[in-house]
Amino acid sequence: MPTDLWAPYTPDEKQPWDLRRVVHLHRRAAFAGTWDELQRDLKDGPEKAVARLVKGTANLQTGHEFYATAALLFDAAQTQGEIGRLKAGWFYRFLFGPHPLLEKLTLLWHDHFATANAKVDDVTLMRRQNDTLRKHATGKFADLLNAAVREPALLIYLDAQTNRKGRANENLGRELLELFTLGVGHYSEADVKGAARALTGWSVEESQFVEVAERHDDGEKTILGQTSKFNGTNLLELLLKQPAIAERIVGKLAQQFFGVNGLSADAAQQLAAGLRERDLNIGWAVETILKSKLFFDAANIRNRVLGPVEFVVGTARLLELFDPAPSTLAMADWSARIGQDLFDPPNVGGWPTGKNWIHSRSLIARSNYAAALVAGPNSGRSEPYDPAALSKKHGFGTKPNDLLTYHHRLLFGSDPSAETMTRLGGAAPRPMVTALLSSPNAQLG
Amino acid sequence: MFTRRSFVQSSSLLALSSVPLFVAQSASAAAPNKDGRVLVIVELDGGNDALNTIVPHADEQYAKLRPKLKLDPKRLVKLTDSLGLHSALRPLDVLFQAGQLAAIPGVGYPNPQRSHFEGMAVWHTAKFDAEDRRGYGWLGRALDPTQGNLFSVGTEVPTALRGRRSSAVAFNRLEDVLLSDPHSARLGVGPESTDGLLSFVRRQEVDAHTAAEKLAKLTGDSSGSIYPQTALADRLKTVSRLLKADIGARVFYTQQSGYDTHSQQSFAHASRLGEFAGAVAAFFADLKQSKLLERVTLMAFSEFGRTVAENGSAGTDHGTAGAMFVAGPTVAGGVVGTMPSLTDLDKGEPKMTTDFRSVYASLLEEWMGFAPEPELLKLSRPRLFKV
Repeated sequence: MPTDLWAPYTPDEKQPWDLRRVVHLHRRAAFAGTWDELQRDLKDGPEKAVARLVKGTANLQTGHEFYATAALLFDAAQTQGEIGRLKAGWFYRFLFGPHPLLEKLTLLWHDHFATANAKVDDVTLMRRQNDTLRKHATGKFADLLNAAVREPALLIYLDAQTNRKGRANENLGRELLELFTLGVGHYSEADVKGAARALTGWSVEESQFVEVAERHDDGEKTILGQTSKFNGTNLLELLLKQPAIAERIVGKLAQQFFGVNGLSADAAQQLAAGLRERDLNIGWAVETILKSKLFFDAANIRNRVLGPVEFVVGTARLLELFDPAPSTLAMADWSARIGQDLFDPPNVGGWPTGKNWIHSRSLIARSNYAAALVAGPNSGRSEPYDPAALSKKHGFGTKPNDLLTYHHRLLFGSDPSAETMTRLGGAAPRPMVTALLSSPNAQLG
Repeated sequence: MFTRRSFVQSSSLLALSSVPLFVAQSASAAAPNKDGRVLVIVELDGGNDALNTIVPHADEQYAKLRPKLKLDPKRLVKLTDSLGLHSALRPLDVLFQAGQLAAIPGVGYPNPQRSHFEGMAVWHTAKFDAEDRRGYGWLGRALDPTQGNLFSVGTEVPTALRGRRSSAVAFNRLEDVLLSDPHSARLGVGPESTDGLLSFVRRQEVDAHTAAEKLAKLTGDSSGSIYPQTALADRLKTVSRLLKADIGARVFYTQQSGYDTHSQQSFAHASRLGEFAGAVAAFFADLKQSKLLERVTLMAFSEFGRTVAENGSAGTDHGTAGAMFVAGPTVAGGVVGTMPSLTDLDKGEPKMTTDFRSVYASLLEEWMGFAPEPELLKLSRPRLFKV
């Protein structure tokens, strides 16, 4: 029996349950914690903190009649056919939803089954896809995959309608093998051709997924060494049996919960093996990660670049900008400027990751967003942020060093260094907060 | 073997200023030295249909492969007796007539990738090993020794521009690279860190702030040249503004998307090519008027060509060898390289006749004055520049 690399985390002297780890958990598994949430979890310990995130009861600040409001916002976007409103509606869910982990995973699957409205040009279908991804985000991967590849938005994005018997269009077949399931190196060009033939007849009519029998090529195909009269459904069954699929899921989850190359090959393999034994249950893998020693290991803290959505939402939550909240339309726009335009990933491969999020334009946009939140109007808030009021509310003083200490702990879970005290201690409160949020450190989490 | 030019002057300046200041004064001179030369890349995203770009209309096999999509020979822009450009590329004829446009058919590499991502990764890195393809890009590496600056006019920094020491900026609008609170932003940077990732972010921040400061000094440029109202033309216009402001980048990168024409491609492909040609022609007219022409070469490529045979939905699927364009003051104009045969095929697709890396080698050494990496030096090159 090899060592269980996914042993649960139990605090000890070396790896104590401290504010740093609570901040880490809320950064990775939610959109940052407010001071009260962090303090509650610090007191209650890791088990309860993780359980709340998994159940979707971690956020103290949720929207009034959240589910009804969230649905109303999506309905309105759909009725008006405005993708900007759909983006804003999702930001409402990020900012005020009770289940940030579910929203994060929905975003991760949006990235995985990347579909751009720039091509689909149909808000109703984009909304439908978003609902589907959320519904299956923590379920069995088979359910997620089967639902996701039958979503009209994705089928349109990948030209399924033109893939017909005798005139195969490889777009869907190729991305299904390369991006959605197996990954490069686990299939051949002949497999792509076979997959494209198996998928002939899959199409969209009147905004619904349909299988058009007369367009389907029902001849024999050889795919991944198996010869059969595959159709789309059989093809998905075949793909779901491939060992490589579990590795791909682990890789995707690692993108969210670990830094780039932050997960060893051994640990990834063990988790993939666990997934295979559990029918590719995504929720099981997420929970295993969040409870693990590996996740809370000091080496896994602050080793990951925050994505634009994480930065935009997290910053607003940290500063408790709930009433009045920033305009969610503005938040969606800021996120796009920082590099993540929801419902419009740059290509079928989804958004960049890690260091690729960091370049001059994105860093300038991050700093400008911080300045906009602090000042108010450019983030759609009528009033500026008041650093002293928040500091005082949570039992800190209002002298410059107290304000710095409060915000430093809130952001990083640690006290400012002597150098930071010297550099920022003399700044006026609002510029100090903008400086802290623009700092290299604040881009990680 | 050390043929690299000396960059003493540029490396003694700030990391951003890879173009020495004296170039600003000599920009309008007839023959600036190579340090002032700029390379502009246009990536045609999605896999441009090479066969309907540089068209072998005299080859009877062409019409057989393209029953629906074949182009009328009479409408093509004549290159040679047997080859012509798609009629939508007519705006480029001015450059071609001036001997400043090279059309290169059959450009590829051994064992071509038909995946957008793998194909693009190969073109961006000029590496075939899967591990290397995740690393630094061919232009980023070329600018490493001088810690040069690369600008991507678009939403992201492409792999091609990523280097170890050189730095790349990406933006859509000039306002996107101006800081609204520069004082606070600078205050946040802090000291060097020993942590690799943090140190990376910090370096990028320092570069970002320096670039923002430079761009803040740019005033609105309303000079005469007329550009079409298209996304690519807007980007090339921005490149031109940055060149006029002597922003100090030696490489500018832009993309035009929409070439993944799996179905009903005739109209879409013509529109894309028309947008491309219109933007490039306006850009060169602007450069000429601003006396910047001598400093700029433009190269256009796509991750692969499309299947030479059309598919059943009046489109084409992912193919192999593609077409490249290189335009500039010292380019050896005309058709460069050889049109591949349409009958001697490999897995249904033409065999490449020019290795794209040899074009890179020419651009780097003969235009930019950089020493190409040893593996690029080994390749035989087409005659892309006048001696």
